[in-house]
Amino acid sequence: MRNLFMAFVLAAAGLIGLPITLAQTAQHAGAAKTHSASTLPDLSGVWFMPEYHRTLLPKEDPPFQPWAEALLKKRDLENNTADPDTGPDPIERCIPPGVPRIMLQPFPWEIVQAKDRVIMIFEYQALTRQIFTDGRGHPKDLDSTYMGHSIGKYEADSLVVDTVGFNDKTWLDPKGLPHSDALHVIERIRRVDHDTLQVDYTIDDLKAYTKPWTAQRIFKLKPDWEIKEYVCAENNEVK
Amino acid sequence: MQPGGIAMKYSRVIAIASAMCVLWISVPLFAHHSGSAFDQEHPVTLKGTVSSFEWSNPHVFIALDVKDDKGEVEQWRVEANSPNMLTRVGWKKDMIKEGDQLAVTGFLAKTGRKIMRLHSLTLSNGQQFDGEGFK
Repeated sequence: MRNLFMAFVLAAAGLIGLPITLAQTAQHAGAAKTHSASTLPDLSGVWFMPEYHRTLLPKEDPPFQPWAEALLKKRDLENNTADPDTGPDPIERCIPPGVPRIMLQPFPWEIVQAKDRVIMIFEYQALTRQIFTDGRGHPKDLDSTYMGHSIGKYEADSLVVDTVGFNDKTWLDPKGLPHSDALHVIERIRRVDHDTLQVDYTIDDLKAYTKPWTAQRIFKLKPDWEIKEYVCAENNEVK
Repeated sequence: MQPGGIAMKYSRVIAIASAMCVLWISVPLFAHHSGSAFDQEHPVTLKGTVSSFEWSNPHVFIALDVKDDKGEVEQWRVEANSPNMLTRVGWKKDMIKEGDQLAVTGFLAKTGRKIMRLHSLTLSNGQQFDGEGFK
């Protein structure tokens, strides 16, 4: 009798549990499928801006902290009164342009998607970015760098990149928008059609701006281009 | 020399350049630096003789001897984009040689130094090339 009862309980549990198990399996399979290399949203290719702009193209006026607004005005004045290649812009001395400005230089860049990371290869200054997509977080006690530390995750058809760990030696755009070492950049990268990449930026830096603000840039696929060598220091002087 | 002086000296050239260029110069580009050191509002065309040509990063440079209104030769330094970007719009590293006659259209340094940021170039055979590598 006891054995019959136990058999009934196990059978009932099995029947009840089966759909849950199937659902869990399906969910895991779906999640795994979403993140497998073969079904990731395909962002790969050589990308180039359709036109040049000196600003990041903010969607709203950046809400400056007073010191940041004053610094932008100072840079603007110096930019307008200096000889070419002798102004205040750090990249004139071949300093890396940082993020997001690296995408604003009028040179192509390539996205390569690997299983555990996304590699961005920039022609400008031959820089690269590694965006880790294996689930790791940002390291603790991160040393500040020009290009920061990036982690990413896929959300539907987008790659969402989170970057921190910057120094304060770069400009956000060619015009000179300042930032501090508290800069946190979020990039939402999506291929809106085969030939078009859209990047939505959130600039989160409460030392320089009173609240986060956003911008958007568009890039076009260049299927016949490959990234070439670029050596900033080769002939970088006014003669 | 002040920017106004250049404008006076090259007034005829500017007038022609304005007529020819304003319509099709839409988005000035600057590869290496932020670009605001150049007067992007007033494209200028200069004609001269090449004294040197440097196929180098981050900019390709042309040294151009240009005669002013009095017939005196002034040496201009014309900077274009990088070899990579120029190659993509058809430039060849040996297409310009010392002694060649060129017409260059671009933007002058606001400080008055004889430096031009190249927008477009016309060789003596009439061939035209984009100087920013963007087309």
